[in-house]
Amino acid sequence: MIRRAVLALLCAGLAAGCGAQATTGTAPVLQVLTAPLSTSLVTAQGTWAVAVMGGSAASHDNFWQLFVRPTGASHWTLVTPEGVADNGGLVATGGAGGASLLVGFRPSQGLSFSPLAASGDGGKNWTPGLLDADLADVPDALAVAPSGQALALLHDGSIDEAASAAAAAAGQWSSLTTLGALAASAPGHACGLAAVNAVSFGLDDTPMAAGSCLRRGVAGVFADSGGTWQAAGPGLPAAFGGDQVQVLGMASAPGGTAVLMTAGTALLAAWSGASGWTVSAPTATGAVVASGFGPAGSVWALLGGRRAEVISRAGGSWRALAGVPAGTQALAPATGGGYDALAVSGSRLSVWQLTPTTGGWARVQVIDVPIQYGTSS
Amino acid sequence: MPGMNSGLNPADPTLVSAFRSALLHQGAIAFLVIVLLWLAWATARAWRITTPAKTAAAGADAARREAAAAPRSGWVAGKRSASLAGWGRHSGGPAEARGRWLLRIGFGTIWILDGILQAQPKMAGGLASQVIEPTAAASPSWVQHVVNWGGTIWSYHPIQAGAASVWIQVGIGVWLIVAARGPWSRLAGLASVAWGLVVWVFGESFGGIFAPGLSWLTGAPGGVLIYVVAGALIALPEDAWRSPRLGRLLLGGLGVFFIGMAVLQAWPGRGYWKGVIGGQPGTLSGMVQQMSTTPQPHFLSSLLASFGSFAASNGFAVNLVVVIALAAMGGVFLTGNPRLVRYAVWFGVVFCLADWVLVQDFGFLGGLGTDPNSMVPLILLFSAGYLALTPAPQEVSEAAVAGEVIAAPELSAIGSGGAGPEGAGSAGGGSAGGGSAGGGWRGRGAWTPGELGGRLATASARSVAAVAALAVVLIGAAPMAVASVNRTADPILALAIEGSSQQTDIPAYGFQLTDQDGQTVTLASLRGKVVLMTFLDPVCTTDCPLIAQEFKEAGVLLGSADKDVELVAVVANPIYRSVAFTRAFDRQEGLATVSNWLYLTGSASQLGQVWNEYGVAVQDLPAGAMIAHGDLAVVIDRSGYIREELGADPGPGTTSTQSSYSVLLTQYARQALAGS
Repeated sequence: MIRRAVLALLCAGLAAGCGAQATTGTAPVLQVLTAPLSTSLVTAQGTWAVAVMGGSAASHDNFWQLFVRPTGASHWTLVTPEGVADNGGLVATGGAGGASLLVGFRPSQGLSFSPLAASGDGGKNWTPGLLDADLADVPDALAVAPSGQALALLHDGSIDEAASAAAAAAGQWSSLTTLGALAASAPGHACGLAAVNAVSFGLDDTPMAAGSCLRRGVAGVFADSGGTWQAAGPGLPAAFGGDQVQVLGMASAPGGTAVLMTAGTALLAAWSGASGWTVSAPTATGAVVASGFGPAGSVWALLGGRRAEVISRAGGSWRALAGVPAGTQALAPATGGGYDALAVSGSRLSVWQLTPTTGGWARVQVIDVPIQYGTSS
Repeated sequence: MPGMNSGLNPADPTLVSAFRSALLHQGAIAFLVIVLLWLAWATARAWRITTPAKTAAAGADAARREAAAAPRSGWVAGKRSASLAGWGRHSGGPAEARGRWLLRIGFGTIWILDGILQAQPKMAGGLASQVIEPTAAASPSWVQHVVNWGGTIWSYHPIQAGAASVWIQVGIGVWLIVAARGPWSRLAGLASVAWGLVVWVFGESFGGIFAPGLSWLTGAPGGVLIYVVAGALIALPEDAWRSPRLGRLLLGGLGVFFIGMAVLQAWPGRGYWKGVIGGQPGTLSGMVQQMSTTPQPHFLSSLLASFGSFAASNGFAVNLVVVIALAAMGGVFLTGNPRLVRYAVWFGVVFCLADWVLVQDFGFLGGLGTDPNSMVPLILLFSAGYLALTPAPQEVSEAAVAGEVIAAPELSAIGSGGAGPEGAGSAGGGSAGGGSAGGGWRGRGAWTPGELGGRLATASARSVAAVAALAVVLIGAAPMAVASVNRTADPILALAIEGSSQQTDIPAYGFQLTDQDGQTVTLASLRGKVVLMTFLDPVCTTDCPLIAQEFKEAGVLLGSADKDVELVAVVANPIYRSVAFTRAFDRQEGLATVSNWLYLTGSASQLGQVWNEYGVAVQDLPAGAMIAHGDLAVVIDRSGYIREELGADPGPGTTSTQSSYSVLLTQYARQALAGS
């Protein structure tokens, strides 16, 4: 009887064990941080903003929209290029010295390459182009030099280049480097390059790449000098020597390049110039909701808790704006050093302006976007 | 899980109609087979009776059968001959054990009920996606992988699979009921084991034993596993039932099972001790409240909702009662004390029925219920255990009385037709039995037509019915077996999505466009080949890549006929239409190396003309949406005439619907090739 009871308990325990679940996990060496695609940029044609709209729980029913506020105008217009589903994301960059805008569609669903669209008239007309590869999911994945040469950062960390706008339109891209090759280069090895997060052009149309480094205290910014990648700075203050540094964004700036990066829990901006790099004082970061660059080396970042921090010029310091309106996806530099906040609720875009007198936000425009729900189902 | 979900609406009229048609078709075949069998049997009997030399023997045989077939009531049933041609006769010996009878009739009835449930209209289209897949989703990936294999077969061949399940289960049920004794009966038990395991693994994802949240209350370890156990018990040599040992073993096993389930139910951290967790219903109350939303009569849903509320308010007490009840039943079953077990059985019947109603919601409601879940089978099983523990005097064989435990060699002897009751007294049957009763197929003489007729003539009605039931099983299983080795899906899925194609006989519009290599292509240049043509947007994110794969697969399915077929797509995007895009699309879809693939484009006006002529609407949508265009496919014969127009909407775009559409395209292409 006792033997039977013991056996029963043993079997019962085994039966009970059948329902248990074990969980295991390992901490990553570096959790790569990238900025969301919502952003703004300024070209000679106007100020552009990218935001995702739709408010649907189904990601394929949320579409990215491109808005422009033409130079000299006060109102925004929807100018999303047509012909391609952009529910995978939009990446925009100014080109040809700011005279045009190049937009890349991130692949989604059954599409595995990235159509492009270029406009030289403020988004009224678009010319199709092709990147027969998977554009990276970062806001600075495309760059166009004044000469028309273009760079595209791919999802796997590779960088492709096109010699001209025409070549880009015809899908004639070639490989500039791969993540593996860049990481194996001397500067890549020195920083322990884990990811490439942005591409840009430096002075003299020098291709540049920036990313996340495993080695603490090192910012991974690289320049392609005659086919050889070299470390391009910036050197960080010793206070950040123990922090892993990750570049979130990079853009051409007057006299050089502007970079937005995190170092540990700090958010930093840096600008290159004739006398080398200038690094801003840090501001406390958190989740970076969106970021972008403006004229004269200005930088903005939307942080968690509806915080907004801006630097109005190269070499400046962070300044907190009033808490942004709910749903704000991007800030856009406005005239007089002010900012527009573009807030999204479902298919409605509200444009808020910072009122200099009160320091608060006032809604100045509403755009109802005809989201085509269900077209990508 | 790739492949398992056809993505179609289970109530799709095309699927439902095809399922009903298949059931009627196979039912008619089964009916015909049964009638033929009956005619053969009746003819053989008539022939024997009219044969003078054998009249006496046949008469004696018939008399014995009549005697054996005399109706019995109560628990003591059976003792009727289940033999066919002397195979396992029972003209003497003890009656069928009550426990065995209960299992046989009980599970036979349940199998028939399950078969009827499988005939519900939504079953063919919905079982894989709405029952099997969700059930497997909580299990580990290797379980999902295994289950996916079966689920994929179902979703590729829903009509054959659905109909097969109906007839196999009805056939096994009837077989269990009519084959009371002997090898036919034991074979029915084995059939129940085999099919039960199939259902348990693929239909119930191993009864969810590898998934979290396992509980006796909700059916662990799977109702069909109990069918399997019952089938195995029925398949045992009948003498195993004639001593209390089988009952003790069965109840002992059940005792361990119940105690294990009690431990599992009591295990902390699984949510059963709390009626409410973080403001949400606890594990049990949540399940019950979810069950109450199943389509069913209002009073049942109200009853469940009420119990769900009660369980939410008294979660601890409810679980405590369950744990104690399970542990107590398990403990009593382990004692093997008949008196205590009897009380436990009565308590178990009430307890299980309460769970069946209040937690399992009968198991078969809602249009996709496949069985009455675990409680009724469990009641049958432990009741049979009790009956086996306390065999009636007329069930007990001399061997069992003498030694209580039958030694293995004796069992072997019985099984092989030695001196055991299965073989005992089997000398009847004239030439048919030949004195080798119960000895299996060997040693029974040649199966000449005459012998066969003799054996058929001496078979009992139950034996003929058992053969008929087996025939029903095979009629259901055969199409499914054939379908399971077919790696392409049934075209019915595509027809369900597209509707019927339109047969036409009109000249195809003669376009002139540019292919992916920059070469000019005209329709006239394709004369002499059958053209499967569709319209694709090279930067489309949803339908077009799927349609392209369907066309590519159709080319593969055409085999050597592929050389006479051209697979053609015309760009359906007025903006992204350059050759660079058609090439990029071809690379994306692996079409760059398909020799008979043409992706044609042209100027916006050229394309607009083609779209217009073929009736394809192409619309540029704002705000980041892709180009909207009609999904159309046309089949153009060698002479340049459109023979078929059909939709090309890939629907849910699952592997099964894609395969199905490829098969449909292939069929149309072959028809066009044959008609040219």
